[in-house]
Amino acid sequence: MMNQLHGLEQSLPASPLHWKRFRAHFAIVILLLLLPVFVKSIYVIDLLIVCNVWAVFLSSWDLLTGYTGQISFGHSLFIGGGAYTAGFLSFYLHVPFWITIPLGGCVAAILGFGLGLPALRLKGPYLALATFAASAVLHGLSAVFWLYSGGEDGLYGVGPLTRNYFVKYYWSVALMVVCSGFLLFLVNSQYGLILKSIREDESGAEASGINVTKYKLLTFIMSGFLAGVAGAFYGHAQMHVGTDLLSLNLSIMVVLMSVAGGMGTIIGPIVAGYLLILLNEWLRVIEVVRVLIYSFSVVLILLFIPRGIVPTIISIAETLISKIKSPSRS
Amino acid sequence: MVTFLEILVYGAVQSSVYAMLAVGFSLIFGVAGVVNLAHTAFYMVGAYLIYTLFSLSGLNLIFSLVVSVVLTGIVGILVQHLCIRPLIKSEYSVMIITVALAMFFQEVLLSTFGPVDRNLTNFYDATYKLFGMVTIDAQRLLTLIVAIIIIICLWLFIKRTKFGRAIQAVAQDREGSVFMGINPNRVYLQVMFISACLAAIAGAFIAPTLGARPHMWEHPLVRVFICVVLGGLGSFEGTILAAIIIGFTEVVVAFSLSAYLGELVAVAIILFVLCVRPTGLMGRRAA
Repeated sequence: MMNQLHGLEQSLPASPLHWKRFRAHFAIVILLLLLPVFVKSIYVIDLLIVCNVWAVFLSSWDLLTGYTGQISFGHSLFIGGGAYTAGFLSFYLHVPFWITIPLGGCVAAILGFGLGLPALRLKGPYLALATFAASAVLHGLSAVFWLYSGGEDGLYGVGPLTRNYFVKYYWSVALMVVCSGFLLFLVNSQYGLILKSIREDESGAEASGINVTKYKLLTFIMSGFLAGVAGAFYGHAQMHVGTDLLSLNLSIMVVLMSVAGGMGTIIGPIVAGYLLILLNEWLRVIEVVRVLIYSFSVVLILLFIPRGIVPTIISIAETLISKIKSPSRS
Repeated sequence: MVTFLEILVYGAVQSSVYAMLAVGFSLIFGVAGVVNLAHTAFYMVGAYLIYTLFSLSGLNLIFSLVVSVVLTGIVGILVQHLCIRPLIKSEYSVMIITVALAMFFQEVLLSTFGPVDRNLTNFYDATYKLFGMVTIDAQRLLTLIVAIIIIICLWLFIKRTKFGRAIQAVAQDREGSVFMGINPNRVYLQVMFISACLAAIAGAFIAPTLGARPHMWEHPLVRVFICVVLGGLGSFEGTILAAIIIGFTEVVVAFSLSAYLGELVAVAIILFVLCVRPTGLMGRRAA
């Protein structure tokens, strides 16, 4: 399940900011920036905003679980924590979004620290349970204080980011690019190497003089912060925060989509975010079986290409290219 | 006094459902090391099968009970054989694929029956007065009695029969049991069958009280997981003790404060236990 570095990364220089390594990423960003020029449909733009936010949800989960190996079934704790913080501030105090979104991230980072502390001692099923339980706490609290949180309905009328769809789209692209760029930079630096070593062999990492406690906690905090920012952004973009942002279903979808995209690659979950959300929408024609097909295909992906879609496609493409380039050698 | 007795009776019913679910979950974990997050999905499948057979088609009660429990058991075997066995080496992969399967079952039921709550006919319509004060309907009482019988039978089965000893042997030492002529993979399948059947029984008996809906697996999953960890993963007695603790706590809190807080208290207990004693009340040290 845990991926090795794939060939592309090994064949290129080790510097984390070598531009050749990120050619494809730059191309994608430019494509995203130019998209509104060609696509005028507000429906599609709205969908892409959701995709951008989901890409941050998934890649921040990947930092925690794919890279550091701390399995989390409670990502909705961070997402919902950030979203509800922003929701409360905006709904009751009318705080502008450029304050609430970072604050949402900070609250989620604190939640990440709070979850990280017990998680230091836990492994495997125990850690899974702790994350499950922690996200249930927030969901439970929103039900207990329904008078303030709006209960199942949530809060309608969270302050909008902007009335213009295209401006909103660019905000979401900016969020996605900054967050995933930060994550990609992080995992390609020495920090990422340390996280991987914790994932592969925790006692080995500790024996090599790595302060495992510090790095684990930092990862929980960063993952929480990014997810919280994205959650707060999502709340403002939809002008609504509801219990679906705190639900177990959301946490599970985050896990499944990231695994389908390819754990421990950052770019895999991001691509999965776009692919699967768009797939979801196209399958809307056959509404009844939409999520059915989708969850079944996730099971198949887990069974037959456990590395995930994106790493598999990359490695197939690489074999093809190398065969075309040197037919005699193969 | 009345409240006290009510808590006693309703707490016992709640605990019995959790115990039936948690014992199955704990069994497959203890024997095969499989954290089956699709366990409560079997509970849901059992509830929907009994709804289809008994309430919709109006078949004989005993017949529909047997069919729905056995069918769920077969679903369990298929899940174990096709999905869990290839991934059994990696704990995380098993957790992820079982949670994916749970979503899959949810979606199958959602597309077949729709998102609405389904009400089931009671197996037997009557209300009793226990101790002359506490009113309880026959369905809840039946659930409690069946759960007690099933758990005692299971305990005898595991501790007393040759077959049960084989299960214990695999749980204690997989390689050693192979030398004794036991096929662990077959034992895993059998245990998964039993575990899925238990979940289906719990689902079938509680469904007339709670109703059946496609999200019903989420609520007990966290609770059952809590019972199993609190009792110590893989410990039969500990799991039942934990189910009783959690069941009663929830009912006490629900009676005295609010139904939502019951959930929170259960979660608070487990977060505390995980911090203080991660192996649970009666668990052995994790390797």
